[in-house]
Amino acid sequence: MTATATQRRSSEEQASGTSAWRRRVTSEPAARVTFYITAFLIWVGLAAMFVRVPGPAAVTASLVKEFSRGEVFSNFADTFYRFAVGVFLSVVVGLAIGVIMGMSGLARAFFESPVLVGLSIPAIIWAFLTVMWFGFGDTSPIVTTFLTAVPFVIINVAQGVQGVSRDLRDMSSSYGVPLGRRVKDLILPAVAGYVLAGVRFAVIIGWNGVLLAEWFGGSGGAGFRARYWYDANQFAGFAAWVILFVIVIVVLDQLLFERAARRAFRWRDAGH
Amino acid sequence: MSNPVIEAPPTAPAVTWQEGEQLARRASSRRRAKRLVLLAAGWVAMLLVWNVAAYYLPAGVLPSPLEVLIVMWEIVASGAFAANFFASVGKTFVGFLVAIAVGAPIGYLMGRYTYWRAFFHDGVTVAGTIPALTYAVLSLIIFGISDLGPILSVALVSVPYIAINVAEGVRGVDQSLVKMSQAFGRSPQQIRRDVFIPTLVPYIFAAIRMSFAVAWKVEALTEVFGGTNGVGFQIRSEYQLFNIDGVLAWMCLFIVFMLIIERLVLRQFENRVLAWRPEERVGR
Amino acid sequence: MAVLTVKDLYKTFGAGTPRANRVLDNISFDVRGQTFVSIVGPSGCGKSTLLNIISGVETHTSGQISVTSDDGKPARMGYVFQDPRLLPWRSVRKNMLYVQDQADDETNRRVDKYLDMVGLGKHGDFWPGQLSGGMQQRVGIARAFAVEPDLLIMDEPFSHLDAITARALREQLQDIWSQSKKTVVFVTHDVVEAVELSDRIIVLQPGGKIFEDITIDLPRPRRQTDPAVATLQAEVLARLERMKGMAPQVSAAP
Repeated sequence: MTATATQRRSSEEQASGTSAWRRRVTSEPAARVTFYITAFLIWVGLAAMFVRVPGPAAVTASLVKEFSRGEVFSNFADTFYRFAVGVFLSVVVGLAIGVIMGMSGLARAFFESPVLVGLSIPAIIWAFLTVMWFGFGDTSPIVTTFLTAVPFVIINVAQGVQGVSRDLRDMSSSYGVPLGRRVKDLILPAVAGYVLAGVRFAVIIGWNGVLLAEWFGGSGGAGFRARYWYDANQFAGFAAWVILFVIVIVVLDQLLFERAARRAFRWRDAGH
Repeated sequence: MSNPVIEAPPTAPAVTWQEGEQLARRASSRRRAKRLVLLAAGWVAMLLVWNVAAYYLPAGVLPSPLEVLIVMWEIVASGAFAANFFASVGKTFVGFLVAIAVGAPIGYLMGRYTYWRAFFHDGVTVAGTIPALTYAVLSLIIFGISDLGPILSVALVSVPYIAINVAEGVRGVDQSLVKMSQAFGRSPQQIRRDVFIPTLVPYIFAAIRMSFAVAWKVEALTEVFGGTNGVGFQIRSEYQLFNIDGVLAWMCLFIVFMLIIERLVLRQFENRVLAWRPEERVGR
Repeated sequence: MAVLTVKDLYKTFGAGTPRANRVLDNISFDVRGQTFVSIVGPSGCGKSTLLNIISGVETHTSGQISVTSDDGKPARMGYVFQDPRLLPWRSVRKNMLYVQDQADDETNRRVDKYLDMVGLGKHGDFWPGQLSGGMQQRVGIARAFAVEPDLLIMDEPFSHLDAITARALREQLQDIWSQSKKTVVFVTHDVVEAVELSDRIIVLQPGGKIFEDITIDLPRPRRQTDPAVATLQAEVLARLERMKGMAPQVSAAP
């Protein structure tokens, strides 16, 4: 044979030589563990670099102290009550307006601007205004949660309702599918995912809203307690509460919504 | 040639195509006019609700739109708005650049390698759900009261969006184009420059648009907590004086100008860069 | 000109696992000189896998495969895919230049020449999204010829086009090929198309063995409407009738 320029190796020839140890280190669970270790080390490093940043030991100590004082559960009970009422109201109102917007183009034109304005008003403004309007108490965090969350529910629901495919609706009417079955098999499955996404957004945004309103509202709750430590320049106490905020929202988001979303969208992700 | 079997329908259409087109055009312009009226009605209704509420609520609780408009005019005329607005926008954009510098490589790694996806997944998800309040206060704890606080909080809040979108973009790279490039013997650098980056650009724009909407709010929030200038700082000063009309005036100005940046400036830039996309050219 | 040698080639997906699936079974053939070879077979016979192995996208399980160029330099390959595979964000001309190793005047002239040959000389500055599917595929063909390949590989390039466009492109392909005389390996499931275009047809059967190796000796240029072409097409189709009822050994996809 003459100059053989392109001779390819078969897979038998490519004796693969990755060791079992190496494969274990590069596995996905190992990657997660490595991430948590790295994040922890970064925290320790930041605490060493900046005097004002509390380290893990100080934060753990204040966390234990807050629990033993009984501050955690009583304050979270307040916060959860306000948060739950606010989110519930925003879901009810958001569903109603969202469905109307999704079904009629004219309603969409009417509500478009108010929703756009609502989306762009920062939570802090609502917190300030409601504190000035309603004073200290449960009302201001509830209204802040409601007002920050409701536009997100509306746009998601409207998008879902609007997105119910015209073709499928036409198909159903040409086969004469009865209305009850149409709602159950077409509208609900198509919209459920969007509603869920809207509620999930409402929860994340509303959580920020309720904490902000409590921060400025001064009538107890997790946000108020975090501010107490912040104003006292006790950043370890503040960081302990931050950890609690984050744990609560992550648990809520991952355990509840992640699962529900996967269920609602499983028809979409089932390909391949 | 065989005889045509299919003949024209015996009843000719009642209108010519010109008339039909005119009718259709008139119907669509009527629909557009109706939409515009309703759009305006939406604004009017909003202002009306505000005005009525201002009228019936006790004095000083809620100023009317007109009173707020007057304060807005005073703020703009005094030059305070321009100075503070540009301070806020500047900090937002610097924070943004930091977020792109950090988030884009993370997203690239996440989209490209399963190891890095597993590594960053939890962090990015958690970072995306953390309340903005936390970022604002943490940035202040780290940097104290300075311009660096808002910049850091903007960066922190934007990184997850950018990372997630870039990862999505990398996964969205058309593998058939990559295979084509490899088949023709293109180098990895060439594939990166001519296939990966052009695919990523639209995703990066989506990330910028999504995170910009969140970022300027967090920027203002951080200024509220500990700024030395900027729109958020002014809102806080008005709040401490219990000037509701001042708070509302600053807020309205800020929202209007941020929406202008978001809708006009960013979108124009995006349209120019993405001119090759057929739907963009036909669209607007 | 190029020599493609394939000897005792086997390919098994998931070798050594219970789901092992042999798709190529003892394939041997050579292609020498300026020949137009078609690889034909029903879907699932392994022809795409064979093509991927020749182009180096996939590795074979055992056996030998080599592509030799006569000047001793690494063999240059050109590809035309089922879909055009153009970069949507680059102009037609930049797409052609993208796969070239040099950017000198001579390359530019060559790119222009092949764009002219496929009738798109005026479309160099268009974005692919502005062209029809058939025009995009023509750019794909011009791109492959413009690298002046030793071996040109075409993977069902006309299967996604409508019948009229496909027919026009087949005629254009023959004209370009007659002028440039490359070695071509052309994969298709369409026996009629293969007879019209090729000097030789290698037929694969389900299970990945070579079923027949047919030489087509007809004068060029050939047109679909030639009676001689039609007669031969009918004859080849009749010979392939015997393949009916041969089930693939394992039908699971890799």
